[in-house]
Amino acid sequence: MTDTQLTRASTAAELTIATPEGVLFHLPLAGPASRLYAMLLDTAIVLGTINGVGLLVRWIFSKAPGFGFMVITLAEFAIGFAYGALLEGFWNGQTIGKRLFHLRVIDQNGLPLRIEQAWVRNLMRVLDALPLAYMVGGLSVLSSPLMQRFGDRVAGTLVVRQTPVAAPVEEFWTRQKYNSFMDYPVVAMKLRRAATPELATLIQDALRRRNELATYARREIYRELATYLQSEISLFPDELVEKISDEQYLINASGILFGDQRLSRVQG
Amino acid sequence: MILDLERFQVQARPRWRDLESLLAALESRPDRRLNLAEGEQLQELYAQAAADLNRVTHGTLAHELRQYLERLVARAYAELYYAPPVRSEIWQPRRWLRIFTAFPETFRRHFRYFALAVLITLLGCALGGLAVHYDPASVEVLLPADYLRNPDQRVHQEEQEQGQHLDSAQTEAAFSAQLIRHNIQVALLAAALGVTFGIGTALLLFENGVLLGAVAVHYTQRGFGLFMTAWLLPHGVFEIPSILIAGQAGFYLARLLLRRREDRNFRQSMREWLILVVGLAMMLVWAGVMEAFFSQHHAPVLPYGFKVAVAASELVLLTIYLLMIGRREIGTEARSSVPSENR
Repeated sequence: MTDTQLTRASTAAELTIATPEGVLFHLPLAGPASRLYAMLLDTAIVLGTINGVGLLVRWIFSKAPGFGFMVITLAEFAIGFAYGALLEGFWNGQTIGKRLFHLRVIDQNGLPLRIEQAWVRNLMRVLDALPLAYMVGGLSVLSSPLMQRFGDRVAGTLVVRQTPVAAPVEEFWTRQKYNSFMDYPVVAMKLRRAATPELATLIQDALRRRNELATYARREIYRELATYLQSEISLFPDELVEKISDEQYLINASGILFGDQRLSRVQG
Repeated sequence: MILDLERFQVQARPRWRDLESLLAALESRPDRRLNLAEGEQLQELYAQAAADLNRVTHGTLAHELRQYLERLVARAYAELYYAPPVRSEIWQPRRWLRIFTAFPETFRRHFRYFALAVLITLLGCALGGLAVHYDPASVEVLLPADYLRNPDQRVHQEEQEQGQHLDSAQTEAAFSAQLIRHNIQVALLAAALGVTFGIGTALLLFENGVLLGAVAVHYTQRGFGLFMTAWLLPHGVFEIPSILIAGQAGFYLARLLLRRREDRNFRQSMREWLILVVGLAMMLVWAGVMEAFFSQHHAPVLPYGFKVAVAASELVLLTIYLLMIGRREIGTEARSSVPSENR
């Protein structure tokens, strides 16, 4: 059972960290696509900033366009490197683009990156951006098990995906006051024993997405699931099943699968 | 293994919540320091969450719960094992000024890579110079730009045009900015090409050397030796060494990557690469200013002898700076003198 869960988790590339306490945990790595989107957004922001600064400088140096040009040229060069390096350095590995796409640059050993690492990986862009459109960096990402571009390899950093994960919430079906399936403890126990974790998760996910599904789709899916459960896993009496909707059937089943251990109390 | 995941979760949830709020407080204020009680609490909650993670293996909720706990453990791990730089230290100007002494110190510490860069450039120079010397026709192949091939025309043009050069400080400013940007880009690339085990760096230096040798011999043959010295050296004495230092940084990086496994102080070594790059960038800013504002003026406005003298004194100052400034001792003791946020 555990094996199926582990393989499911490891289909995407991830970084495995073994802590000194002997605990393993995994951090999902960011793929080239999301990094590209984040980079495009960052590039747009940098270009916008440079143009804004350019307008300002041109206004200030309107009497001396040559000096204005000098300031703009140097400023745009500096901003190009400093944008990524400063933001990543002081904002715990995130630029604006990375933050929006839930990406974060971290040290290879799972710790936050340091300021000099942020500078090194951003200065190395001169190589990664070659010959055009980050081809060198892209090839490096694709050929690296940790999805690092050359800048990351040198700085010892990598980019992880950090979509927010909340603690599994207690759904209302785990706190039902009355669950008619509880009246049939033997059948309920059978359901509990026979349902695989995948099946239980499937039922729960179907219920959670109740409001995201179109009415007809919801009806179809719930009917299929309820029929499957009723025919293959546990045979609740027909007079009970006929009285409740498919949705209520699934809610009751989830109450049995995920709920508090009231079942044992009923049995006791 | 836990049989009753739901009950386990109900029991453990309060301590996960505690850990979560502690982490949220820490992450929102990176410069915040824990007091002793909080530190102990963090350590304890982390250990418990890690133990919980190890125990959750089976059950209907296991997958979601594992994901949640892994994230929690990862965050706590980062907080526990990472010593953030102290903010007040980062903003101390004295620490930033350290770069002016750290640069020559680092340069001397890794002098052999500099020597290698010099050697390769000299090889290129010799090849370019000899080729032009024995076969003037090779100029067509070796010198890409048209203006470099016709010294007579170029010198004439330069000396004629200087009237315009004089009152155009504007143009010179714009020119210097472009030079600075271009040179820093090339130098940075040479330093970054260390990832090709130094091969890319060597090729770049060699090519640079060939150009340099070819131009020097070509102009000298036509009797413009003094003009060329006065034209190129005032900025060249900074530009050429900085490209060589870029080569040094590149070879150093190559060595660093090859020995990564053995180097227990990798982060420190990486910082030294960074110091070299920052130092050479500063040199290139000066070179760009000199090239635009000084080098382009020729006799009779600026006598060639004066320009050469300026170049010579620049070279002396640079040599003194690179060889004498900062601590003298070389070795493990000096390593720790580089500005460090590691504590």
